[in-house]
Amino acid sequence: MFYLTYILAELRRRSGRTILTAVGLAIGVGLVVTVNALSRGLDDAQAKVLEPLTGVGTDMSVSRPIDFSSSDNGGFPQLSDKERQELQKENGGGRFGLRNLGQPGSHFSRDDFVSTAQLSFAESNVATIRKIDGVSAAAGGLTLNSIHVEGTVPKQSDTQTGPQTFQNDQGGPSAQVGPRSINATSLSVSGVDEMHRALGAITPGQITKGSYFDTSDGRQAILNDSYASREGLGLGDTISVGGKTFTVVGIAKTPLGGQSSDVYVKLSQLQKLSDRVGRVNTVYVRADSASDVAAVAAAIEKKIDGASVTTAQDLADRVSGSLVDAKNLAGKLGTALAIVGLLSAFLIASLLTLASVAKRVRELGTLKALGWSQRLVVRQVTGESLVQGFLGGALGAVFGIGGALLIGAFAPTLQATLSGAASNGPRFFGGPGPFGQGDVSSGGSTDVTLSAPVSLGLIAAAVGLALLGGLIAGAVGGLRAARLRPADALRHID
Amino acid sequence: MTVTELERHAYELAGVSRTYSLGGHQVQALRELDLVIGAGASVVVVGPSGSGKTTLLQLLGGLDRPTAGSVRFEGRDLAQLGDRELSRLRLATFGFVFQQFNLIPTLTAVQNVEVALAPSGVRDRRASALRLLDSVGLAGRASHVPSRLSGGEQQRVAIARALANEPHVLLADEPTGNLDSETGAEIIDLLMALTAEGSRTVVVVTHDTDIAARAGRVIRMQDGRVQQDGIVARADVAAGANTGGSD
Repeated sequence: MFYLTYILAELRRRSGRTILTAVGLAIGVGLVVTVNALSRGLDDAQAKVLEPLTGVGTDMSVSRPIDFSSSDNGGFPQLSDKERQELQKENGGGRFGLRNLGQPGSHFSRDDFVSTAQLSFAESNVATIRKIDGVSAAAGGLTLNSIHVEGTVPKQSDTQTGPQTFQNDQGGPSAQVGPRSINATSLSVSGVDEMHRALGAITPGQITKGSYFDTSDGRQAILNDSYASREGLGLGDTISVGGKTFTVVGIAKTPLGGQSSDVYVKLSQLQKLSDRVGRVNTVYVRADSASDVAAVAAAIEKKIDGASVTTAQDLADRVSGSLVDAKNLAGKLGTALAIVGLLSAFLIASLLTLASVAKRVRELGTLKALGWSQRLVVRQVTGESLVQGFLGGALGAVFGIGGALLIGAFAPTLQATLSGAASNGPRFFGGPGPFGQGDVSSGGSTDVTLSAPVSLGLIAAAVGLALLGGLIAGAVGGLRAARLRPADALRHID
Repeated sequence: MTVTELERHAYELAGVSRTYSLGGHQVQALRELDLVIGAGASVVVVGPSGSGKTTLLQLLGGLDRPTAGSVRFEGRDLAQLGDRELSRLRLATFGFVFQQFNLIPTLTAVQNVEVALAPSGVRDRRASALRLLDSVGLAGRASHVPSRLSGGEQQRVAIARALANEPHVLLADEPTGNLDSETGAEIIDLLMALTAEGSRTVVVVTHDTDIAARAGRVIRMQDGRVQQDGIVARADVAAGANTGGSD
């Protein structure tokens, strides 16, 4: 208790120096806290952007993207014959002529489901994936573009050379249309395996109104909130998908990071409607742990022919924009600034402690004359520095929290852009990308608000750093004090 | 006093020299000094400034090491002892009183006495310190810091501090040098009273003729050597003493 009394009395006597040392340490520590809080905020922002891209709870997505190779003269990417056949088989190709739809002047309506950028594969592959070591869970999904064409079969006039044909050279259905009498709409639809609620394109946690699918056989739909808002649809309304009527049971919030499909229905129902029973074009996979992700991804690509696995890291690597710029800035410049600030603080504390020891030569010499050992004298000097370090740490924590709160108060908005996904092929009717996740996977952008969270662990680490600074300063001053010869010290004139 | 006690508390200095470097010049403070001080002796060291009095005192207290020769205390060469052993010696065996008091300015009078007691692990340190202050007549000033005490009061605190661990040896360097004659006389009376109680060896460096006159033995130094050693008349002490700073 006496030693603590002595320490505090000494710090009070040299209060100016004590405050200066504590403030110096506080600035260094405050910088560390603020930069770390900012980095954590940027990580959180990036996670918010990435989370919906892979689906909540998903570590990776498996798909079979169509391979578009560039043409030799740099023109429009072309499909190989094999790929074209696969896609035609997928989308049930073949032309249809308007004449086949009915008599001229008669009304017609046609619904088709097309896949434009990824091929489906057997649903049994989901079970195969589940059995791979390191896989915790897997669920299949099917995302297609539902195209509804309806209108009146046009009459052919003598001036017309023939019906005008719209041809889909990439394997989709073709149509012969005439002006103004035909309407075509498209809708992105995702089939969700409701038996795996925690894994998939949409989960119960994303429902903002209504409810998730129940286990009944009824045709239920969950709408993307921006689609529902655009179309003026709400709970209890009906929507036509593939010519069948679905009841809206839930509205899901469009997750940060981009647009998902317009409509979600049960997987089995979409498979039936689209004539793809037993087929999926996405598998959502969760690994046992983060360290298993890479190995699981490699195993899947080996087991499933033509599979392309995209992990959260792959998506993270494709994110660009001011969010990424800010992350890089915080990571490099911010870290450098914090290190320089901290080292400067340590240096200032050490120099001030040395100056303090130089002013107390006679006093320290007297202590030695009274029987204080070198160890005790060094302990006294180090103890004073540690208390200064503690003060600096506490003040630094306040500075750091203040800096983080300031960032939160300004809440700057950053932009994240995801560059092109696995397939760079053409998209028809504005359909979904490889993961059925809409525009984000092909270069969409989203805004995210930055925060700077401060945890107790960060504060504790910051105070620890300040104490380290105090210890270093104390060691420097203590060594100086230890080298004092009592006789020289007593001869010293203050 | 038995021969054993003499051997236990005796100082033996043989061929002791001490040289300092000062501003690029070599200063020889002590030159081949030979000296024996018996246990329980009261010794006063007098001499002009620069005669080596303070250097001698510092060697006796283990605060410095000779450049040549040996300083033996109770048969042990002080120069061969490590920091820990010297610290124990200074804590338990030696007591120092300085000309400039050397009190810790941030601590109160009682805390300044506790400074000497802290390393020895004494229980009831505060009570012991208060008793010591009472013995020097300062019980009522225990909570005052040095800046609120007179010169005489500060020296009393320093004496209480020096005697805190009941040392066998008391070494005082010009204890009245910064005091007026009246206060100085009070301090001398106090020192003599306190040191007369036991078989304590007392070595006082001084210009004060009163102290010299009351000593059992007076050593006169000049230019780092012992000029005279023994009982000296007051007049002779006055003739040989010099006013000025310590050396």
